[in-house]
Amino acid sequence: MTTQSLYKSFIIEEYQLEEEPYYVPIHDEVELFEAAYKSRLPLIFKGPTGCGKTRFVEYMSYKLGLELTKVTKDDSDNSGVNLPLVTIACHEDLTGSDLVGRYLLEGDQTVWLDGPLTRAVKAGGICYLDEVVEARKDTTVLIHPLTDHRRILPIEKRGELLEAAEGFLLVLSYNPGYQSALKDLKHSTRQRFVSIEFDYPPVDLEAQIVEHEAEVDKDTAYQLAKLGEKIRNLKEHGLGEGASTRLLIYAGKLISEGIPPRRACQVSVNWAITDDQSLQQSITEIISSIFE
Amino acid sequence: MTDKLQALQELIPELEKYPAQVQDNFNKAISEMPEALSDEQRSDWLKQGIAIAAQTVRSWEAAAHFFQVSPKVIASMPYSYFVRWMECGSSLCEESPTLASAYFEASPATMSKLRSRHIESWAGLGDGLYKGTWKSSTLACRFFAESPTLLDTLSFQQLENFANFLDALSHRSYDLSSECLTLGEQIFPLVGEDKDAFLSLATTLVDTGWREVKSFFEAGAKALPKIHPEERMRFLKLAESLVNNGGTNIPGTMLEISQSLSLLEEDNHHIVLGFAETLLDEEPLAMPEFIKSAPIVLEKLTIMQLGRWYQEGVNTLSQNKDGGLAFFKIESSHSEAVIETLSSGIEFDRIKPVMEMYCRALAGAEIKLSPTDALVEKNIGWVSNESPTTEGSTVFVPTVVDRYASKEENYAWFKVVSTHQVAHLEFGSFIFEFEREAELFENLRLDLEKRRIEALQNKQAEDLSGADEPDNPEISQDQSLEAHTGLERAWLTDMQRFFDLFEDRKLSLDIFTVVEDGRLDARVKAEYPGIKSSYIQVQSDSHENRPDIKELPAREAMVEFMVRLSLQQYEGVSAPSKYSKEASQVAQIARRVLVSDATVEDTAEATLRIYAIISAIPNEEIPPDDWNDMDFEDEDDEDYVDPEDMENLLEQIGMGMEMELRPEGEEEYESLQEVEYRGDFKPELAQLMTELRMQEQDEMSQAQGEPLTQEQLQELLENSAELDLQATEGEIQESSGMFADNIMKEAGANMPQSPDDSQGPFVHVDEEGGELEPAEPETFVYDEWDFRAEDYKPRWCIVRQKTMQEGDPAYFGNTLNEYGTLVTRIRRQFEMMVPEMFRKERKLIDGEDIDIDDVIENMVDIKTGSSPDEKFYWRRNKVQRDVAVAFLLDTSASTAEAIDEGKNKQDDWDAPDDPVEYMVWLRTRRGEQMRRSYKRIIDMEKESMVLLINALEAIGDTYGIYGFSGYGRENVEFYTVKDLQEGFSDKVKRRIDRIAPLHATRMGPAIRHAAYKLDNTDARTKILFLISDGRPQDRGYSREGVEKEYAVHDTKMALDEAKKQGINSFCLTVDKNGHDYLKTMCSDMGYEILDDINDLPERLLVLYRRLTM
Repeated sequence: MTTQSLYKSFIIEEYQLEEEPYYVPIHDEVELFEAAYKSRLPLIFKGPTGCGKTRFVEYMSYKLGLELTKVTKDDSDNSGVNLPLVTIACHEDLTGSDLVGRYLLEGDQTVWLDGPLTRAVKAGGICYLDEVVEARKDTTVLIHPLTDHRRILPIEKRGELLEAAEGFLLVLSYNPGYQSALKDLKHSTRQRFVSIEFDYPPVDLEAQIVEHEAEVDKDTAYQLAKLGEKIRNLKEHGLGEGASTRLLIYAGKLISEGIPPRRACQVSVNWAITDDQSLQQSITEIISSIFE
Repeated sequence: MTDKLQALQELIPELEKYPAQVQDNFNKAISEMPEALSDEQRSDWLKQGIAIAAQTVRSWEAAAHFFQVSPKVIASMPYSYFVRWMECGSSLCEESPTLASAYFEASPATMSKLRSRHIESWAGLGDGLYKGTWKSSTLACRFFAESPTLLDTLSFQQLENFANFLDALSHRSYDLSSECLTLGEQIFPLVGEDKDAFLSLATTLVDTGWREVKSFFEAGAKALPKIHPEERMRFLKLAESLVNNGGTNIPGTMLEISQSLSLLEEDNHHIVLGFAETLLDEEPLAMPEFIKSAPIVLEKLTIMQLGRWYQEGVNTLSQNKDGGLAFFKIESSHSEAVIETLSSGIEFDRIKPVMEMYCRALAGAEIKLSPTDALVEKNIGWVSNESPTTEGSTVFVPTVVDRYASKEENYAWFKVVSTHQVAHLEFGSFIFEFEREAELFENLRLDLEKRRIEALQNKQAEDLSGADEPDNPEISQDQSLEAHTGLERAWLTDMQRFFDLFEDRKLSLDIFTVVEDGRLDARVKAEYPGIKSSYIQVQSDSHENRPDIKELPAREAMVEFMVRLSLQQYEGVSAPSKYSKEASQVAQIARRVLVSDATVEDTAEATLRIYAIISAIPNEEIPPDDWNDMDFEDEDDEDYVDPEDMENLLEQIGMGMEMELRPEGEEEYESLQEVEYRGDFKPELAQLMTELRMQEQDEMSQAQGEPLTQEQLQELLENSAELDLQATEGEIQESSGMFADNIMKEAGANMPQSPDDSQGPFVHVDEEGGELEPAEPETFVYDEWDFRAEDYKPRWCIVRQKTMQEGDPAYFGNTLNEYGTLVTRIRRQFEMMVPEMFRKERKLIDGEDIDIDDVIENMVDIKTGSSPDEKFYWRRNKVQRDVAVAFLLDTSASTAEAIDEGKNKQDDWDAPDDPVEYMVWLRTRRGEQMRRSYKRIIDMEKESMVLLINALEAIGDTYGIYGFSGYGRENVEFYTVKDLQEGFSDKVKRRIDRIAPLHATRMGPAIRHAAYKLDNTDARTKILFLISDGRPQDRGYSREGVEKEYAVHDTKMALDEAKKQGINSFCLTVDKNGHDYLKTMCSDMGYEILDDINDLPERLLVLYRRLTM
């Protein structure tokens, strides 16, 4: 009798998406990505939070992986369906060694451990650096050699130059919303990427997405999407960010679990996006107009 | 008998000793004396008269009067009383003949009103007032003279009281007493039943404040008529209690109270006075305030709710007297909050922020929300003060909604109204395009327009050939013909082009309005299910206010029929039986647009068809029996096909014949009253405004197209059915001209304007006044904390933000040179702060990387067998500087103190309170300073700023420098030397030069304003640095008894507020006595007192470094 593992854990580059991620293209982003991938041009996704950037990367890694698999079908070893996707959430304390790797002591010797970026480079997958502006500027410089024609990752501590595997692609995401003077990408970094702008989908598409993701009926989905649209109209009036598609889906999920719609929107949308009382009241009014 | 007569005869010669008038009067009187009088009585009478005359040299006058009035007096009383009357007169005459004369003179009129037995008392009253002096004699005489009038309203008892009152008062002042006598005459009729109360109050007043008695009488005369007659006594009792409780200025209070009461409905006086009476037990001083506030409160609350507000006030009062007083004055936030909670009405001001955002969200555009009267004031064609409406960029809603009993219902109504108006924008009422295809109807507009033009051309041709009379050119008609025939005619708006299709614009506009409103309502209900129920409620409530359809003439009834349909009345809608076929056609067309994909063009097409049908119906009276109730299905699925005769009807419109075909003598078509919640819909004007705004914006970027002329605009306005220009030709011209003017202005008014630096003159607002409104640009209003009331005084201070004037930029450089060595040292220190941001920290359990030295040590430890230190990681400790700091400089007059003279620096507290004296005081003080050549506190402040700027520029922190001063709560001056967002420039250098001592130190509002500025700045660390030279003080920045504490507490509260906004405050003062108040003011914040002002620049920088590290 084998003991059932209590949790699932994957080696970073072997993590597979089992199903095709649900993604509804809004513009030509799929075509752009495919084209960029063919030439291995690194990409930056700009867009507000919760509009589907991460989902899009997952979708693309799955989609491109499928194509790769088709191409290399005869290689029976390749059981992987999608392109390896290594996601790194950037934060202020993210250092170069966190990305590249470091020596650790093991017994009486030192052992080198690859960082996630190194592993993605080796595995030839998509390395997705989420919220890249949060990372320190000296960290972001590390990725420069990977983004141009060289496609190499210098590992100083080992004195190595690591050449990126065939499938490797670097994708960055950042949210220009919180742009403050301190947190902006350096131009030398920015200009190495193809930028794709994301925004919240139009009402009809968003309704479709919410309907699918939150498993609510069409009308509720449409109303949620409309709520999103209306709240986003307030973006310049004290709202840092409009209600994201993600929040709308949360609301939808609560509704489908039987929470009354007004309440669901209150907790998942209204209170999530602002602490300003008067703004909250305004949004409450919108919610109470849209939902019964 | 004859003896007696003889005696009489013998006496007569006695009279000859006196002036002839006595004898004349006697002769005249004797014939008038009653026949029944015995001779003896007659001679007694004569004797009495002679005795009077004989008393003194001047008493013959009294005797003359005596004879003159005797016949009249005796007529009103039995002889026995007459004797007593004579005796009284006689004894009065002994006192003073003048007095007796007055007594006699007043007698005939008085006796008819006085019971005979009171004669002596009455005489006694007058006598009592006579004290032997000339003034007292005048008073007593006047008392007699006024008695008849007084007795009209007073009982004798009361007259006695009044006389006693006069007597008491006369001890103080005869003049006053005599004036009160006159006033009494006026006032007693007004007092009603309660002269006793009034008199006793007056008497009390003589003891407590006799000087006020006269004004009390005057006030009474003015105040009492304003009060419900039955309540006057209670009013007086209240006034009396106030007097007894030591109230001052009673007459003034009475006047104010009565003024307030007069604003109330008389029926409410009873209740309000009832509350006032109970309030007296709690706190007499609060009573007048309560009554004065009552009308204001009752505007928002019902009389029942007033009771609850009152109760809340009493509670507050029991905890805190000042708080309670402020409560009843409505000068506390708590009081306002209670009113707001109790009131069922919705006030625009309160919900504006929320609703404005709501509207913006819905429309997805920069919509403003304004009260309706604001639109009327603009005078651009909207005239109704009540109706909600929109002109394309602003939604206008009523100021107060108090239609329903509960707040919820009122709010729901308000929301429905706003939603409906926004729907005009959201669902595009104003983006009508004449040539855009409709969704649901076949397009007939272009076709119809073509026919119209042809018809007009033909007509014009006929006119020209038929009547070739050049001397009869009707200019206006010619122009309009040209306008129609010229195909290149430029319409200002598509809406105008559409309405040009119809001869009867009023009818077409009404139809368009109903159809469009119906479309929007349906759309809103479909899109916003949440508001649907309130919407349906409001719609069905609207039915009640509609006119009775059966009383309307046929054509109007048809329009009303549509209104009913659009308000979702589908059952039993009355329509004239004669036209039921037309009615169902109309219904069918109108209901076509009630689907979500209908557009404004569909409304136009529907309007066109309905117009065709309705305009063919004569506007005639329909007998009450000829009506049909029609029912409709909720859903109308039938496919619509234009009725067969539509072609003919359109033909008529095309010919422009519909007006001419109407029968003679029909009633003129009148627009129906609008549906209240839908308000005033003016598509033509709104579209015009929108386009004008666009045009204005275009002009900003590039000159494009021909700008609209005043004439074109005027023509549109004159033709439009949306304006109620009922007047003669000339006046129409005039008012449309005015509207046109204003519209042009209005369209441009929303453009950004160049900031106007000019500030209004100082306005003196008394401390006792109420809330202030920031009327001018760059003024801000803030609350002030009243620590005794433990509540904010709402909107109490006005901060006027100004930019410091510019002076000599050389000052900056000179100062830097002066501090040469210090400058370099400081600059170096500050520059060193930058690398300090990345300090490497060693010996950590976890970190960026291992420190190889520590690891080696660790390994050595292991090898040697001792326990190793596992802390061998290091990391860079990142200190990210993200600092915004606002320096607030005290530029009050006291900073003009010379620093060397620190010893004789006295407290500012001797500043006089009177504004005029204050200015004089200030000027002398400043004058004194001017003569001194040495440095002043302000100079040190300025120099510190120079050094600080120099240092701060090195580390790149965000900083702002502001000076504040002020004079009174309405003039808190806030000078910007360098704004937070502003970069450092020569301008800033120049401005520093101009920092100068000004007026007083009202710190609270200045801190609040600085905090407001910091709050709008994005930074992780926010610091407010206050540099002052003494305690906060200003005219009126105090309360009786707690002068100093009041200002200190407000300042403390302002600092606390800042802290709540995440702003750290630090106070640096040079006032050596500062410890006592700074302890309170900055209880939990940092503060420092500089012993030597000369340390200021250096110390400031050290503190700054320490604060921000």
